[in-house]
Amino acid sequence: MTESIKHIVVVGGGTAGWLTAGRIAAEHKENQAIQVTLVESPNVPIVGVGEGTWPTMRSTLIKLGIREDDFINQCDVSFKQGAKFAKWSKNIEEDFYYHPLVLPQGFSKVNLVPHWQQQGVSQSFSDAVCFQEALCEKGLAPKTIRNPQYGAVANYAYHLNAGKFSQFLQKHCTSNLRVKHVLADVRSVTENELGDIAHVTTEQAGDIAGDLFIDCSGFSALLIGKHYQIPFNSCNDVLFVDNALAVQVPYEQEDDPIASHTISTAQQAGWIWDIGLQHRRGIGHVYSSAFTSEDQAYADLSRYIGRNIDDLSVKKISFDSGYRDKFWHRNCVAVGLAAGFVEPLEASSLVLVELSAQMIAEQLPACRSVMDIIAKRFNDTFTYRWLRIVDFLKLHYVPSQREEAFWQENRAAHSIPESLKELMHLWRYHPPYDHDFTSNNEVFPAASYQYVLYGMGFKTDLSLYRTNDAEMALAKEQFHLNKMNIAKAVDMLPTNRELINKIKAFGLQAI
Amino acid sequence: MTAHVALDANLHKHLKLNSAKVEEMGADLHMIPVVVSEFMKLVVQFPILFTKHADTGAFTCICLTGFEEGENLFWQNAEFDALYIPLNVSRHPFFVGSDDTQNNDYVICFDTDSQILNTEEGDAIFNADGSASPVLVNAQEQLSELLIGEKQTSAFIEVLLALDLLVPLALEITLASGESKTIKGLYSIDEDKLNALNEHQLVQLQANGYLQAAYTQVASLGQIYGLIQKKNQRDSAPNPWMQQ
Repeated sequence: MTESIKHIVVVGGGTAGWLTAGRIAAEHKENQAIQVTLVESPNVPIVGVGEGTWPTMRSTLIKLGIREDDFINQCDVSFKQGAKFAKWSKNIEEDFYYHPLVLPQGFSKVNLVPHWQQQGVSQSFSDAVCFQEALCEKGLAPKTIRNPQYGAVANYAYHLNAGKFSQFLQKHCTSNLRVKHVLADVRSVTENELGDIAHVTTEQAGDIAGDLFIDCSGFSALLIGKHYQIPFNSCNDVLFVDNALAVQVPYEQEDDPIASHTISTAQQAGWIWDIGLQHRRGIGHVYSSAFTSEDQAYADLSRYIGRNIDDLSVKKISFDSGYRDKFWHRNCVAVGLAAGFVEPLEASSLVLVELSAQMIAEQLPACRSVMDIIAKRFNDTFTYRWLRIVDFLKLHYVPSQREEAFWQENRAAHSIPESLKELMHLWRYHPPYDHDFTSNNEVFPAASYQYVLYGMGFKTDLSLYRTNDAEMALAKEQFHLNKMNIAKAVDMLPTNRELINKIKAFGLQAI
Repeated sequence: MTAHVALDANLHKHLKLNSAKVEEMGADLHMIPVVVSEFMKLVVQFPILFTKHADTGAFTCICLTGFEEGENLFWQNAEFDALYIPLNVSRHPFFVGSDDTQNNDYVICFDTDSQILNTEEGDAIFNADGSASPVLVNAQEQLSELLIGEKQTSAFIEVLLALDLLVPLALEITLASGESKTIKGLYSIDEDKLNALNEHQLVQLQANGYLQAAYTQVASLGQIYGLIQKKNQRDSAPNPWMQQ
């Protein structure tokens, strides 16, 4: 029990597996005693549709010791500055809002919601308080060629090719971070007398023993699910979509503009994601099979793309929304799809992998006797995070005025978690602000709730709201500053495509 | 229309160079690209710094002549009042082009729009026999120094980056008027990092004469005060209209 934790075995070689292996190996690079081994099936393809990240990916890549220009060149990467939600509130062309990656202007000093609402909401909330929407609408990049690696003018994340990203990480982890790569199919799991995993038995490489096993085996959840039978908490009763049709659409011209944000367009029984990479777009229709048929979903996807898509390879993915009852059990912790999955509405999949990998790397148990303490902490932290994510995704549906059955059912009281109901009741009189979200483990800041809520047309009753002259002056100044920032940024930034071409030609400086 | 053409002894035999107009080319530059071989001459008056090229983000070496776009504090009374004029000003109106037809040889080009070259005023650039006049020989020497110098300077910067010696320079200046300005986008060699290099790294720097260049750049930072003084003098100079 007091033997140190030395050998970490990651089962699964998708993005989750390599990010986790790499993050742990990088954190403990100096400690030669710690060895990370990644076992990957040569026969199971990765799911590979996770193509949107959060800005956290920048710090993750820095931790891994990766150059940003290498990553951009080798993984078809483009810059992402948030998400645009079209037709979510009403099924009309003019309806859209942004959830950008920059906080509202002066967010720590003043809550702009009441002041924006009092102006008569003629300008959208996100445009009135944040300069990033203007950049996205103009297809501009978040930085210039003069900004160093990972440096920004506007906060940004990435769109990436998940298949290439896994290969890129694999190469980096094995060449620079001492991660051992074993290509083999895991056939069985053997426990020791305590009930911990002693070793996994593979078809091609025999037994692989370890002190800590990380289950990154995707939906099959070989260790946490198949072996330990940890129950899966379904949230299909809150989030209705359960299928996705994904397709890759090449650009018509090589230098077509690349959108600098994810576009999510609401459909009759779900929504379509649209992610622009360097050479193609990744587009997918996420829908609820209870409210529409596969044929109809296919037809809707085809109509969105604007042409017949029979010549393209359409990949169907079926899933249950939800997450494990616990993620860390005995000496096994699940990361990625093995831990859980919800619709990719806010690109929560990769960020949860990063957060999990970070916590495992930074709090790697010294020995078995303390592992259960860390495991409990991990489980509490991530259960909280999943709950918050489910609430936040549901928030995208609840204020909608769309009339199809899928949308009406989404507003039914029984489908809304109590925690969200309570907050939405509060927000009828108090606009969301930092004091609503006080945990150290929040995933979305209060600003995100503001962007979605008021983007969806929600109104807070301000008849009882108290303000004062000083606050009103401060708010006025922030609206003005935002206008200035828009003009300044629009003037200096190149388009997303231009910047990517420059980075491919010249690279980015380290400073 | 501006056209850049290769200089030709036959086509351009009557052209004269009006040297009085050459320095005007630097009148409104606040940064002038420079090469390592100029450092010893520049350090006498100019701060030498690094900045990033707007199109490529690549580092280039410059001397600072003003604190905002369009301001050359050395430009006084219609002349470039400095002991040494950087090559990238004095080379005008000529520049180096590559000749695609002949194995990418370098050729001297000029801008047909430039007022510096004309047929009336100045010194002939070709002798009567078609050979290069002293004016042209001088231009050839300057262009050749620039061409070699640019390669040396890139190599110098590459070594500085490899040794992690460059740091962003937060240049905050306060003028006599009390106004303070922050100038962004400039970089310098960090003196502490330079002094902390180990023996192996020092040898690496010295091998190509880079060690002296590095210390010269650091020493030139003091000239920023000289530039601030020029700025204060200019700001306090009475308007000629009001002069008594």
